Amino acid sequence: MTRTAAQLAPPSPRAMRLGLVLSLLLMIVALGVFTLSLKAVQPVGDSDYIVNVTATGCQPDQLEVAAGRRTFTVVNQSDRAIEWEIIDGVMVLAERENIAPGLRQPLTATLKAGDYVMTCGLLSNPQGALHVRASESDAEASPLPATAFIGPLAEYRVYTTLQLRKLQASAGDLRDAIATDDLEAARQAFRQARRIDLHLAMPIGLYSDLDQRLNAHADDFEKRGEDPEFVGFHRLAEGLFTDESTAGLNAIADRLVTDVDTLAARLKSASIPPAQLADGTARVLETWLDHHRDDRTIGERDLDDLVALTEGADKIVSLLSPLLERQSPDTLQTLQTQLNSLQQELPTASGSSTSGQGDADGLLRATDAVAKSLAGINQALTLEG
Amino acid sequence: MKIPKPCKTSKTWIAAGTLGLLSVTATAQAAVAPEALVGPVADYKLYVLDNLEQLVTHTEDFTAAIEAGDLAKAKALYAPTRVYYERIEPIAELFADLDVSIDAREDDYEQGVEDPDFTGFHRLEYGLFHDASTDGMKTYAQGLMADVEELDSRVQALTFPPETVVGGAAALMEEVAATKISGEEDRYSRTDLWDFQGNVDGAREIFELFRPLAAQEDADFVARVEDNFDDVEKTLADYRLDPDDPQAGFESYDEVSDADRRALTGPVTVLAEDLSTLRGLLGLN
Repeated sequence: MTRTAAQLAPPSPRAMRLGLVLSLLLMIVALGVFTLSLKAVQPVGDSDYIVNVTATGCQPDQLEVAAGRRTFTVVNQSDRAIEWEIIDGVMVLAERENIAPGLRQPLTATLKAGDYVMTCGLLSNPQGALHVRASESDAEASPLPATAFIGPLAEYRVYTTLQLRKLQASAGDLRDAIATDDLEAARQAFRQARRIDLHLAMPIGLYSDLDQRLNAHADDFEKRGEDPEFVGFHRLAEGLFTDESTAGLNAIADRLVTDVDTLAARLKSASIPPAQLADGTARVLETWLDHHRDDRTIGERDLDDLVALTEGADKIVSLLSPLLERQSPDTLQTLQTQLNSLQQELPTASGSSTSGQGDADGLLRATDAVAKSLAGINQALTLEG
Repeated sequence: MKIPKPCKTSKTWIAAGTLGLLSVTATAQAAVAPEALVGPVADYKLYVLDNLEQLVTHTEDFTAAIEAGDLAKAKALYAPTRVYYERIEPIAELFADLDVSIDAREDDYEQGVEDPDFTGFHRLEYGLFHDASTDGMKTYAQGLMADVEELDSRVQALTFPPETVVGGAAALMEEVAATKISGEEDRYSRTDLWDFQGNVDGAREIFELFRPLAAQEDADFVARVEDNFDDVEKTLADYRLDPDDPQAGFESYDEVSDADRRALTGPVTVLAEDLSTLRGLLGLN
């Protein structure tokens, strides 16, 4: 009874004031705690990791994060300026240099699943281990960003530029050897030039006029071998290897030198569409196949051609591998296996006189498999937007 | 025909709409097309390969002089050899193991010069300039040669990451700001100005390759960067031994006045800051 009465009685004004002050104080404390907690939580949020670098190493020296874009805050607790790096094998993946003593610097890196090493201040300090586990978002590959092909296309341009320099040199050698009627030197220069010509078969294929003048077969012309339009490598081969003579080849060799110069000028500013890297390479392999599908044996020079085409394809595969690995590791593995089997079927050294009679069936099958795989990989390499 | 006057509200809407459209078109035009970056990135790799070829040849001569015990020649070749490494540092640094064995400084090791893992250019610098002797340097010379050759073959096989290439300009100027102006890089040979020029050359090459694209985005930025590069190079030129012959090299860093060190700090710092925006400007962030 009395309890009820006491509960119902209004609090005294003094108790009211005291309560107000108390609750105000509590609010201030709560606010303070809240702010503090914000400060404490922020740096170790979802994608943020703190690495303290002391005079003797990293703390922690083992770190596990999920794959994706991750931010690390590096705190220099040593007494000299440091750098902090994430290293993949021997390659620096991301780094922050010159962090002054006492300062903290953020570093953001996009990490794939795998094991990495962290450098921790002094080179004599033990390195830390960074384990990146696969995250769910990894499972479904996002489309490639629009910038994904800059690297591969630039590297391919470097490759074509350097190959063209060699091609210009050996085309010049070929012309000179023919002019001085040195059959052996001419054959040697021919093999070198032809090999590079076929390394570049894909970009040359983008220019039908040059492709025809450099690489057309006699069968492509109305009057076949006698056709005045029939020039280029196959015409020169007819003279040097079938007729075993340099006779009448001067003009053809001059023409080849001019055409190679034209090619160099065009490729210097050409922008190769990304899809052509794989599609174009598939196409040149298929073109070779088209000439040999029914062959029981493959002649020596045709085999040399396939060796060179495969070297060109190998360069393309190596350029696309990082993108394929990200988008479709299975596709990459299949392609790599097929390329390896083709390479094993081929004689190791081109230009030397090998048996020249590779197992035609095996070769044709292996080439066909690589061509088909290459033709299919652009599906896995769709660009964003 | 009389065009109906829009009421006030619709006017505002139209204005807002136009503004919106304008900003959309502006952004669309502003973005550098990714394929436009292919050429400059490729040209940069050709520049790096060219410098690597020079690095290999010069390292051959430098290390041969050490192995032959020719102290004077080895000292003379130290700085002209390093220049090629300093120019291509953004790429060379990607290979952590080689960067350490080729270019680490004694401060990177707890035991400093005495550390058994301390090798490369700066270990040789210590022997040649501090100890004034080629004694015991043969192993370091051979190691350097092998490392430089290994670097050459790795870089040849490397697809250059566009972000690293474009970001390299700022990285080089930061390097200058952090370790060159202080004179700590070549503390025994005092050839810091050679390295300084190498870093500036490397940064400027990257900037020049991407300049046409950057100019489309921000002409003022390009003009400012050019000016600052010119200022830095002008001060450097004052210390050339022969103004007409870049190969003659530079005076000792001890000769650089405090006023000139301060005069270099300004434009170098601004360059490092400005160039760090180049990646974003070219759509590579």
